[in-house]
Amino acid sequence: MAAASTGEGELLDVRLAGVAPWRRWYAQHERLTLGVLGFVSVLAFWELTVQVGWMKRVFLSSPTAIYTAFLNEARAGTLWTNISVSLLEFLLGFFIAAVVGVTIGLIGGWFRRANYILDPWLSALYATPDIALVPLIILVLGIDLQAKVFVVFLTSLFSVAVNTLIGVQSIDIRMLEVARSFGASHLRVFRTVILPGTVPFMLSGLRLASGRALVGVVLAELLAANAGLGFMINLAGSTLNTARMMVGVLLLGFFGVLLGEGLRRVEQHFEVWRPKRQD
Amino acid sequence: MSMAKLEAADVCMEYYQPRTGKRMLAVDRFCLSVDEGEFVSILGPSGCGKSTFIKIVDGLISATAGELRLDGKKITGPGRDRSMVFQDSSLFPWFTVIRNVAYGLECQGLSGKEAAKQSQPFIDLVGLTGFEHHYPYELSGGMQQRVNLARALAVNPQLLLMDEPFAALDAQTREVMQHELLNIWQQTRKMVLFITHQIDEAIYLSDRVIVMSARPGRLMADIKIDIPRPRHLWVKRDPKFLEYTDQIWHLIESQVKRTMAADQVVASRD
Amino acid sequence: MTAAAATQSESKLLDVRYAGLPPLLRWYLINERGILGALSFVGFFLFWEIGSAAGWIDAYFFSSPARIFNAGVTEVQNPRLWSDLQISGTELVVGYVAAAAIGVPLGILVGWYRKLNYFVDPWLNFMNALPRVAMMPLIVLWVGIGIWSKIVVVFLGVFFTVVINSLYGVRTVDRRLLDVSSSFKASQWRVFTTVVLPGSVPFILAGLRLGIGRGLIGVLVGELYSSNAGIGYMITVSSQTLQTSRLLFGVLLLTLMGVIGVELVRLLEKRVERWRPKVGAR
Ligand SMILES: Nc1ncnc2c1ncn2[C@@H]1O[C@H](COP(=O)(O)OP(=O)(O)OP(=O)(O)O)[C@@H](O)[C@H]1O
Ligand SMILES: [Mg+2]
Repeated sequence: MAAASTGEGELLDVRLAGVAPWRRWYAQHERLTLGVLGFVSVLAFWELTVQVGWMKRVFLSSPTAIYTAFLNEARAGTLWTNISVSLLEFLLGFFIAAVVGVTIGLIGGWFRRANYILDPWLSALYATPDIALVPLIILVLGIDLQAKVFVVFLTSLFSVAVNTLIGVQSIDIRMLEVARSFGASHLRVFRTVILPGTVPFMLSGLRLASGRALVGVVLAELLAANAGLGFMINLAGSTLNTARMMVGVLLLGFFGVLLGEGLRRVEQHFEVWRPKRQD
Repeated sequence: MSMAKLEAADVCMEYYQPRTGKRMLAVDRFCLSVDEGEFVSILGPSGCGKSTFIKIVDGLISATAGELRLDGKKITGPGRDRSMVFQDSSLFPWFTVIRNVAYGLECQGLSGKEAAKQSQPFIDLVGLTGFEHHYPYELSGGMQQRVNLARALAVNPQLLLMDEPFAALDAQTREVMQHELLNIWQQTRKMVLFITHQIDEAIYLSDRVIVMSARPGRLMADIKIDIPRPRHLWVKRDPKFLEYTDQIWHLIESQVKRTMAADQVVASRD
Repeated sequence: MTAAAATQSESKLLDVRYAGLPPLLRWYLINERGILGALSFVGFFLFWEIGSAAGWIDAYFFSSPARIFNAGVTEVQNPRLWSDLQISGTELVVGYVAAAAIGVPLGILVGWYRKLNYFVDPWLNFMNALPRVAMMPLIVLWVGIGIWSKIVVVFLGVFFTVVINSLYGVRTVDRRLLDVSSSFKASQWRVFTTVVLPGSVPFILAGLRLGIGRGLIGVLVGELYSSNAGIGYMITVSSQTLQTSRLLFGVLLLTLMGVIGVELVRLLEKRVERWRPKVGAR
């Protein structure tokens, strides 16, 4: 019944139609307005404290100094190398983890015996702080691309696998019965019931994994690397170049937001596929 | 003749779409009066503004035009003289039955102990003695709605507002609850404004049945139900009862068709 | 849900055809889940042990179960381990408690005032998405490489998770229950204590539970980056000296710490949520 109103966006009390135009505009865009205001005012306050001298520049640098450092880095070209190295490490590892994790999860969720074998392992490994293995991985695989890719793979694998497995197990039993009673083949059941029902869970798993994996790459780059954003931050840190450090930190932040937000959007899109919880 | 206790005059509720500027009238110049001790039901097609109207009476939202008076006093917000029985799942899941029932009294400033003491008779009244310390999830749907009713009655309101209180119940439980509600009403004789989709429920319970038109909700008919009280469930098979049912069904049928046609237009536009 | 609860409390019923099977097979079928799970663990450890003994697995890099066990036995007798544990524990507890003590009230406050929420939302989301490891060099610059750098990174890891979950809990409180309160003219304070708080407690606790993992990662990251004590330091040293067994024992200890922390929060969750239906999650 509320659906009628949601189709065309939120309806407002008609009394708002009478107020001054700018107030009406504000009422419609309150979230955005206040958000931008909040973002800008923190930046301004930050700049101010540094300019007035309440906070030493070396502590957090200042927005303008960071911007200048960003321009310098961008012009020098090293920034792009560092970004592309980190990005490649991340995407490669993440992709492999997605493929392997989904496969393990589907197998472990669908075949009863595979589930008995895999479930305890996945739960145990999911609880292990896998980034503790980063020093060992560096030791075994060296400081190049492959070590980071493996770190990303390891830190994202279990959350993808565990969530996919839970997804398969949460399939609405009635859907399976519908498919079976129509005589659907195994393959068809898999394609039309299992896979779509599991997609929202896979995506949740990927979203959770992305955060962990990002921590993994950055740590690996901080500890031992010769390129990448983590490497750049570390180098800048050792020369007390805070502005340059902040460029790296903020870029990673933006990447994190983009990644998280992107995956959340996709997840939301598929949310209606998630089986309803049965009471 | 005494003055009507609840008086609603030309109540309107209007919304508007900020981007297009299009206006949407949910309730249109709705007039209604309810006398002391009267049981009045409102029927109308889905989306016609019944819930909106009853929320305005409770004071949860304010009308964009028109006036409401209870006992001569203008209604400007929620008040002690009214209380609402909400639809299902409006019990606090984290409180036991007794604390749920005592909630309104606690809001009036009574101590927890005193509120609990005063709530007990209402728990007994709705037949839930012995369930005081159960949590809502431990009760059946019918029992939950009894708690809901007891919570509203406990504050001793002049006017009881009920928005489809039995909608989520199965047919049998529903009949039993209707009968119990009538019994309780007979004992307390409060003014009741009752919203429902079920025609027989409205006729069975009420002194008067109000039929609302499809959106924007207007008053379409005001039908006095001349069936003597106390009523038993079997009056539902009485010829007179069936006559009322027919009469109201014809009124509503046209409105429901209008709503569905409008929805189809909207759907084909998408 | 009542039906599900009823079947759960009684023991599982089996197809009557099971009754006719030979006892051993029946026993296996009834306990298949546990047996296969245990077998897979035992099989894996056996393979690992035998493999490293036979030389197909390089014990230098991958150790072996017996070696890890031995390393554990030696370590437990080493006072250095206990002081390492104490230091990591202190970092975790101090950072975590501070983050929870500030984060929960702040999250509730921000969730309660819509405008404040809109105002701080972009920064909260940004900080939450930022991999806080990246701030390690910065933190060291602020407070040095001592214990404080770890406390700060633990704090930063836990804080935003806790704030965002508490905030979300307040924001998703059931509208209908708020309507009930305002229908009874409840005061703001009453609405807060009887509706908002109980309604958001599950989310707050979920935030605290997630925070344990975040805090543990904070300790690790901080100590791996730069330290001279703590379990993370022990892991670093072990990796540099190729003592893989000791390293894996350290990882085991950390896992244990995390599990204990999560279980503690779970206990709290169970205590607080008496009003929830007692049905398994799946
Ligand atoms: N807050 C709101 N903002 C915009 N539109 C609203 C709002 N509340 C209600 N409406 C609209 O007002 C109309 C009447 O809604 P209301 O809930 O009162 O209907 P109803 O008669 O109770 O329907 P039902 O029988 O299905 O419960 C609907 O079209 C609804 O979409
Ligand atoms: Mg309604």
